[in-house]
Amino acid sequence: MDGSGRSRRGMSRRDLLRAGFATSAGLALGPVLAACAGPTGTSGAGTLTLALNRSLVSLDNKLNQFDAHVTVQRAVRQALTRIGDGLRPEPVLAESFELASPTAWRVRLRPEAVYSDGTPVTVADVATALEMYQQVEASFVGNQFPEWPQVEQVDDQTFDLVTQRPLVGLDALMSNILISPAAANLPEELSDGVGSGPYLVTEANRGTGDYTLRANPDYWGPAPGVERVSIRFLPEETSRVLALRSGEVDVIDSISPDSAEQLDGLPGMNLLQAQGTRLVQLFYNFRKPPEHPLSRPAVRRALSLAIDGPSIVRDVLLDSVTPTDGVVPLSLDGAYEVGSFEFDPRRARQMLDAEGVDDLELTIIWESGEFASDAYVMEAVAQMLGDIGVRAHLRQFEPGGDLPTWRQGRGGDFDIIGNGYGNQTGLALTSLQGLFAGTPEMEATGDAFMGFVYDDIAGGITAAAAETDDERRAVLLEDVQRSIWDLWPAMWAFTQDVLLAHRDTVSGLDLLPINSYDLAAVRLEEG
Amino acid sequence: MARYLALRIAQSLLTVFLIVSTVFVLVRLAPGDPAAAVGGPLATTEDLQAIREEMGLVDSVPQQYWHFITGLLQGDLGMSYSFREPALDVVLERLPYTITLAGAAILLTALVAIPLGVFTARRANTGWDLGANVGTIAGQSMPEFWTGIMLLTLLAVVVPIFPASGFTTWSGLVLPAVTIALLQVALISRLVHREMAANLAAPYVTVARSRGSAERALTWRYAFANSSIPVLTALGTRFASMLNGVVVVEVVFAWPGIGSLVVRALETRDYPLIQATVLVTSLLAIGVQLLVDLLYPLLDPRVRVGKAVSR
Repeated sequence: MDGSGRSRRGMSRRDLLRAGFATSAGLALGPVLAACAGPTGTSGAGTLTLALNRSLVSLDNKLNQFDAHVTVQRAVRQALTRIGDGLRPEPVLAESFELASPTAWRVRLRPEAVYSDGTPVTVADVATALEMYQQVEASFVGNQFPEWPQVEQVDDQTFDLVTQRPLVGLDALMSNILISPAAANLPEELSDGVGSGPYLVTEANRGTGDYTLRANPDYWGPAPGVERVSIRFLPEETSRVLALRSGEVDVIDSISPDSAEQLDGLPGMNLLQAQGTRLVQLFYNFRKPPEHPLSRPAVRRALSLAIDGPSIVRDVLLDSVTPTDGVVPLSLDGAYEVGSFEFDPRRARQMLDAEGVDDLELTIIWESGEFASDAYVMEAVAQMLGDIGVRAHLRQFEPGGDLPTWRQGRGGDFDIIGNGYGNQTGLALTSLQGLFAGTPEMEATGDAFMGFVYDDIAGGITAAAAETDDERRAVLLEDVQRSIWDLWPAMWAFTQDVLLAHRDTVSGLDLLPINSYDLAAVRLEEG
Repeated sequence: MARYLALRIAQSLLTVFLIVSTVFVLVRLAPGDPAAAVGGPLATTEDLQAIREEMGLVDSVPQQYWHFITGLLQGDLGMSYSFREPALDVVLERLPYTITLAGAAILLTALVAIPLGVFTARRANTGWDLGANVGTIAGQSMPEFWTGIMLLTLLAVVVPIFPASGFTTWSGLVLPAVTIALLQVALISRLVHREMAANLAAPYVTVARSRGSAERALTWRYAFANSSIPVLTALGTRFASMLNGVVVVEVVFAWPGIGSLVVRALETRDYPLIQATVLVTSLLAIGVQLLVDLLYPLLDPRVRVGKAVSR
């Protein structure tokens, strides 16, 4: 009976176990043996490998533009201008970009500028690109344009960008409009197609965020310094640091102060630090009722005096930020030093007493990861407020879409929000418009930043944006920033420095305050 | 057999339906706004409303559910908000990576844990047993995140013989698979040890030994054969759970699998992607469990599929 049973099943239990073990051994040892025989994860000679902290979903920027992606996007697709040294716009596809009249900029395209397929960059491509960016819902770039310019062709290479109102800084704003052939451009993020940049995409995997670029042999400008660039997505910072140390990647950017401290001094590693353009503020909620103490500038100022900014910068943020002596980062074009945050807790208490404020309780909210060492900073702030008799309740929320709800006043009541505000144009005006140019109409839909609505401030910013005379605009900008400072919109603020680490085999890497660099200028020595 | 199989498949489909329906409701109850995640920090109220309309989020939850179910029946799980591609395609693109990692980890686990468990059971209350006990407790106590970072530091930085991240070569599979297997070996070997110890002390083994059976036969043909069902069940369960994404390990090693995809989908409140991931992984997990059930009769002739064991 046993024998017949076995022959009927065809496989005995012993056979099954043996087969299982044999398969296990083969499959489990196979990769190990292959690993010993094969190469490791290094990309090979002549390849520059970058590890990004956010997945590069596409090489287009119509919807999202994370600063770490700008470097790669602009190596493939180019704009009329780019933000260069000193945060000044520099011509790229444009040969010249000049203000022709208060409401018109005259642009001349470079005659030599061609796409990687050899076709020239045309005026129609620029006009179509502007249309496509306008048609995209919630475009990150689109929201920076107070008004979309119209393209009026002058000749084959020349056109005017015409606006209803004067739009100073249009040359900087256009650095974010990437130009593609008109026929292939769509009102969505382009995942393929050609660009005019120094590199071509040879492999792309949107799912994993891994891309391979090769030098464009027909590039119209100087040949890039590296033949092949590999872009990888490594979300975990510790893994990025270890990948750099192992030699598997050559450059990691957007690193935290802790990682910078770990890498500092290690042989073969270099750190680059630049003052950034992202302003982090402990911004007051301007939607409080008039009888609330925070509605008074004197109370807001008194609370500021409780914050020992230098200690936080030194001990918690490890000198990875720059204190902001103004209302926007001082690295921006048009930013003015209009005041500084002081630490004087005794005076803070006196001012609160003079205002009749005691037993004040504050709720401070922020999104996890909004800035480096966020929780430690907030705990320090709460303790400092406690030292002047103000009780602070900290409330942290997870990333994933809640931030606009709080900003728009739909998330509930709070007193102070820890919030970062980026700037990719290099212009103080862009930040001033986004943060402080709120109007009653905007507030009706919750779009005034934290309810900050002051008609004279909004009017001052609008006037500065429309002023084409440099000297008069400078005066207007300084005046409006001084007026904003006097309102004490933030309890404390700093500008987050941008930090990048690379192996010493990499050279020519010039980190800009917008957390980007020119990939074509990077050189790689064989290590 | 065929009837049993049909019944199990029907049960499985019902389970999957309940799982995806529950997830559909739960993700919508969770805080966060997908439109805000897509629109970014500068999106205006008007922008957010336009995005919600485009995503179909302005409909009531029952309406959204109806659209989901009708789409599901046609194999359409919607477009991923963050990838702008069909959510199912995004998941299926990542799936082979997770299956590869989970497969390697479970095979490594079986290969190490079973002999280790048998070895220590045969040498109960000896120094070997004590040493293995300490090792397995240590293995259970080490968080995968820490183990992964330590292995990376040692074998990718100090002695750079393996890649630190990703799956660009087969060698990239080694460190993540070992990281997962370390914990699993600790758990499974203890289970094998316990089962084997019980079976080696059972009367039928004593009788077989008294009749002159060799120790090797007693260990493998008698004791281990009778221990194999709980071990196979445990391995199957572990494998099924790994298919849901070995989140921590995938993030540490930048492994492009389901686990890291889930993290991203949750961060961006990408409802279609979350739903597609849950659907695919639950189907796989249930499939693995069914396969394990079907293997039982091969391991123990007393087991008949769909019937109770007769003793």
